[in-house]
Amino acid sequence: MNSAVNNKLTLLQLKGLSKSFAGKSVLDGVDLKVKAGEVLCILGPNGAGKTTLISAILGLIAADSGEIHLLGQLQQGASRSVALRRQLGVMLQIGSLPATLTVAEHCDLFASYYPAGYSATELVTLAGLEAHAKQPFGRLSGGQKQRLLFALALAGKPRLLFLDEPTLGMDVEARRNLWQQISQLQQQGISIVLTTHYLEEAEQLANRIMVLHQGKFIANGSPGELKALTQYKVIKCCSALTDAALLALPGVLQLSRQQDGITLHSSHAEQTVLALLSLDNTVSQLEVKQVALEQAFLQLTQSPGSEHADSAKQEHAA
Amino acid sequence: MSAITIYQKEAWYDLVSVWRTPGFVIPSLAFPLVFYLFFGVLFSPSGSSSHAAYMLVTYSCFGIMGPAMFNFAMNIASERAQGWLTLKRLSPMPFCAYLLAKMATSLVFALVIILLLFSAAAIFGEVRLYHSQWLSLALLMLLGTVPFALIGLLLGLTLSDKAAPGVVNLLYLPMAFLSGLWVPVTMLPQFMQQLAWLWPSYHLSQLGLKLLAMDQGHAALLHLALLLLTTAGLTLLCLFVFRRVIGAK
Repeated sequence: MNSAVNNKLTLLQLKGLSKSFAGKSVLDGVDLKVKAGEVLCILGPNGAGKTTLISAILGLIAADSGEIHLLGQLQQGASRSVALRRQLGVMLQIGSLPATLTVAEHCDLFASYYPAGYSATELVTLAGLEAHAKQPFGRLSGGQKQRLLFALALAGKPRLLFLDEPTLGMDVEARRNLWQQISQLQQQGISIVLTTHYLEEAEQLANRIMVLHQGKFIANGSPGELKALTQYKVIKCCSALTDAALLALPGVLQLSRQQDGITLHSSHAEQTVLALLSLDNTVSQLEVKQVALEQAFLQLTQSPGSEHADSAKQEHAA
Repeated sequence: MSAITIYQKEAWYDLVSVWRTPGFVIPSLAFPLVFYLFFGVLFSPSGSSSHAAYMLVTYSCFGIMGPAMFNFAMNIASERAQGWLTLKRLSPMPFCAYLLAKMATSLVFALVIILLLFSAAAIFGEVRLYHSQWLSLALLMLLGTVPFALIGLLLGLTLSDKAAPGVVNLLYLPMAFLSGLWVPVTMLPQFMQQLAWLWPSYHLSQLGLKLLAMDQGHAALLHLALLLLTTAGLTLLCLFVFRRVIGAK
């Protein structure tokens, strides 16, 4: 196939996708585009709507409004044709496969679903589980289970691959291995939509990151662009200093004046405020705010290793 | 590779997966056999082979009901809960293949149970039947798994994986008793005999007993009609629930 032609294809497009459960809006007018060969990472804290978004795209739930175009076809309701499903690969957050079937048997079964896909043996190799081919699923480690599920997602040599929190429950080494595999897939030109709540994972893998927060995309850009976006805070106050003096404060990136005061964007808010107060003792109505993006990011920047403490906290909170 | 391969592999691996679960295989096969040997052969009131023949029909019926209901209810409930079913739905596998695979497993279990009970009846109970009777009884019992598979499917689609085993037992055991599968229906109190008409297992066992001319004497067509009606009703109910649970939410 001609890759130059391929690169122009849009494999997935969403227009104004909305979904609410019991009156609570979970997806609120989501727009999205994935081009051939692109790795799009949907980043968001737990409860941001990532899984609902994937479920709506795949037709596990019907969206309330909006359009879903998959591989160039407008999808109706919650059914996806067999021809379409043959070209998609999906890895979901899943509890267990039948525990008594072996790795090789699971691969054999899934390989039979896809007429033009990998053979069972190839799938075992893709999972890197050659040494465990005869082991029942129930006796695999958490990381091995994830690797098998990853291989099953590739069974049909998909054009578009969905990975929903693929490294959840993996140790550091398994996580790095999967990242490597995902990079290899990208080099083969497979488009990938990946959800994660780890900023580090998104930075490693994605061409483009979209940040989902409370059912809306609040940012969209390359990993570098997003990183720059998160590194400032908003300072509001009333001050007697001149524009030049304000812009000379440490960390200030940008200044704007409103009727009720001034707004500063600062990369080092604490130092800015400290210098401001030392220069001007008339400062009033001082307010330091995070940008909305950062609020979402705060919950994302925990290191992948702290996941257990993380989920324990959430359970506690619930 | 063709669509037929998918159906074959789906059925084969469903059977293999169930077969490797001793907690399912042993009770499914041993209970009907042990119960039959005790109550049909050893503790036969008259020690007659006619009692052993009567009980062969009712315990065959009891035997085929279990795996059909349990395989569908427990495995579908747990595969739903674990997300395995979701992954399969997203694959190009026709969903029919999944259901037919479960049905095939139930039929294999039913066949093994029938062979075990028939052998026990012939060897220990000295039951002597015509070839045509053995054969038609076996066929009837195999076909008879359908309504119970549908009951299992219904429960599997609606119950949680934790609730499913308990609820199936709660339905299975009283239904077997009230249909006269353990104690001949004629020995039950009058009101229970009337209640028996509610259950597909009663009609199935009466059809089986009719093959040996040991039934209560109602028209075979009446039992058959009620059994088919129940099956049709269950099918519609399953389709309705299926759309709600598996289809779009």
